[in-house]
Amino acid sequence: MRKVRTTTVEIIWRSAIAIFLLGISVVVIVPLLNLLALSLSDPARVSEVRGLTIVPKGLSLINYRVLAANPLFVRSIMNSVYITFVGTALNLLVTAMAAFAMTRPRLPFKRFFQVLIVVVMIFEPGLIPEYLVVKKIGLMGSLWAVILYKSVNVYYLIIMMRYFEEIPSSFIEAAQVDGASYMKILAKIVLPLSKPALATLGLFYGVFHWNEYFRASIYLTDPNKYPLQLILRQFVVLDDTASLIGSGALFSYDEAARLSYDALQASTIIVAMLPVLVIYPLILKYYARGVMEGGVKE
Amino acid sequence: MSGINAPARTLTARRPGTGLRKQEWSLLLLLAPALVYFLVYHIVPLFGMVMAFQDFRIIGKSPFVGLKHFKALFSSPSFMQVLANTLIISFMKIVLFFPLPIAFALMLNEVRGSFMRKFIQSTTYLPHFLSWVVIAGVWIAFLSPSTGGMNQLRGIFGLPAIDYMTDKGSIRWVLFASETWRSLGWDSIIYMAALASISPSLYESADLDGAGPLQKMRFITLPELTSTMVTVFILNMGFFLNAGFDQVFNMMNDSVISVVDILDTYVYRIGLLNMQYSISTAASLFKGVIGLVLILAAHKGSLKVTGKGMW
Repeated sequence: MRKVRTTTVEIIWRSAIAIFLLGISVVVIVPLLNLLALSLSDPARVSEVRGLTIVPKGLSLINYRVLAANPLFVRSIMNSVYITFVGTALNLLVTAMAAFAMTRPRLPFKRFFQVLIVVVMIFEPGLIPEYLVVKKIGLMGSLWAVILYKSVNVYYLIIMMRYFEEIPSSFIEAAQVDGASYMKILAKIVLPLSKPALATLGLFYGVFHWNEYFRASIYLTDPNKYPLQLILRQFVVLDDTASLIGSGALFSYDEAARLSYDALQASTIIVAMLPVLVIYPLILKYYARGVMEGGVKE
Repeated sequence: MSGINAPARTLTARRPGTGLRKQEWSLLLLLAPALVYFLVYHIVPLFGMVMAFQDFRIIGKSPFVGLKHFKALFSSPSFMQVLANTLIISFMKIVLFFPLPIAFALMLNEVRGSFMRKFIQSTTYLPHFLSWVVIAGVWIAFLSPSTGGMNQLRGIFGLPAIDYMTDKGSIRWVLFASETWRSLGWDSIIYMAALASISPSLYESADLDGAGPLQKMRFITLPELTSTMVTVFILNMGFFLNAGFDQVFNMMNDSVISVVDILDTYVYRIGLLNMQYSISTAASLFKGVIGLVLILAAHKGSLKVTGKGMW
């Protein structure tokens, strides 16, 4: 009797919780779906799209076509893709090399380097001194200033060091006995064994580069080099519609005039988050699971 | 670490006075790119912070002026306001926010059915990966007084529209709400991991004793989560003066700048927009030193409570 009652209470309790959490999920995704709906709606019916609308009114790709016809916008996507790929590849290479060296017993001055890593982690240099150094070494205005910023994230370096420490040292010693150099051991033994760590950190570095806008805003001077997030900031956050629409000369004035800026801004937001959505399943697969199993310390 | 430090094979051990071996050079070579990066982006700028005590000049020697810029900062009402804003916003985003991911994890832990659980997790983790530019765009649209979802909801209840983004009374709560929107799910992961590691036998014996769900929560779950909670809280305290530059930078506007301007946005504005390099760096240095003390305290605190530090 008592057992049955507890179960009923429990079912109600769990259902209430599940409904509440689903409510939170709805709060998270409705604003995103709303922008998607706005961006896909027929311009003639855009005024029917309210803040909680999640189904497009009519269907039109005109906003995306306008964006695709804008040279500055297309250029910015290419810049972002370039920064993301080159930056991530460089991040992984430099981080893996450093992590490998740091986990070798033979590394000279190891204690000094360990202290250096902690110093980098806890002393934050000011914005202006960093800016002046970048200026001094001649990177101002170059995409490299943006790519090289955060070449090594010390937290990720430590995660990779922990990962490398797990690789049985007998593998490495055996290769050394065979006369393999450290470079060869890293390339042929350590990296192939570390694919999950490389994938996880690669995704994180990649998301970081794709989302970066601030260093781009202070180090780049030519709008043709701007990454997408910076164009997005100018267009959506600062509401500077002129810079984007003004140069979209491929469309007649009439067509531009009947477009809604809100819808065009929504489309820009959707494009800016698209790559993250595409790799999101991989992030869940590699990282979230790792954390759930308690393997990675944030 | 200590095990790694011990020489693995005496065969390649360096004899005293013979300099570095070829192998050791190759390790240093592998480390070199990271070292150059640390040097250029971290260490050199760190020494550059000496300009906080100078009148910085681009050409020629910058004369030392002692604490002039610090005195200027602390006698300026706008800097005091910035400091207050930083503390208030950090308090909201660290202290007020703190229990929310715990509650979220506890609730999620009660959800049976893996599809439902995965759906909730994958939707609520997502915003963590969006840039603050995107999030600001989403929230500006959502809170728009004319077309936004929030004001549509208010309309349903017959309430007048509010322009949250330009309202001084609301904007800090907008920061709090958007931070929650972004981090609630993601920050609950660490608690989910802690919950998953609680031995089921504890609950089984509680069941035998006839304990209800609330009693199990109070006497088993919460005590088992305590060390995780303490760690998270202490580590967050170490970053108290950050208050989230990217969020504030993308959500502030001229109408509300006086109540959301934080140390990092102030450093940016005074330094890069007004070109007052020295005074901006003085503010950075002030933030850095207090931040350092907080981080060291957090490290010590975390070591003491959980045996695990930050590094």
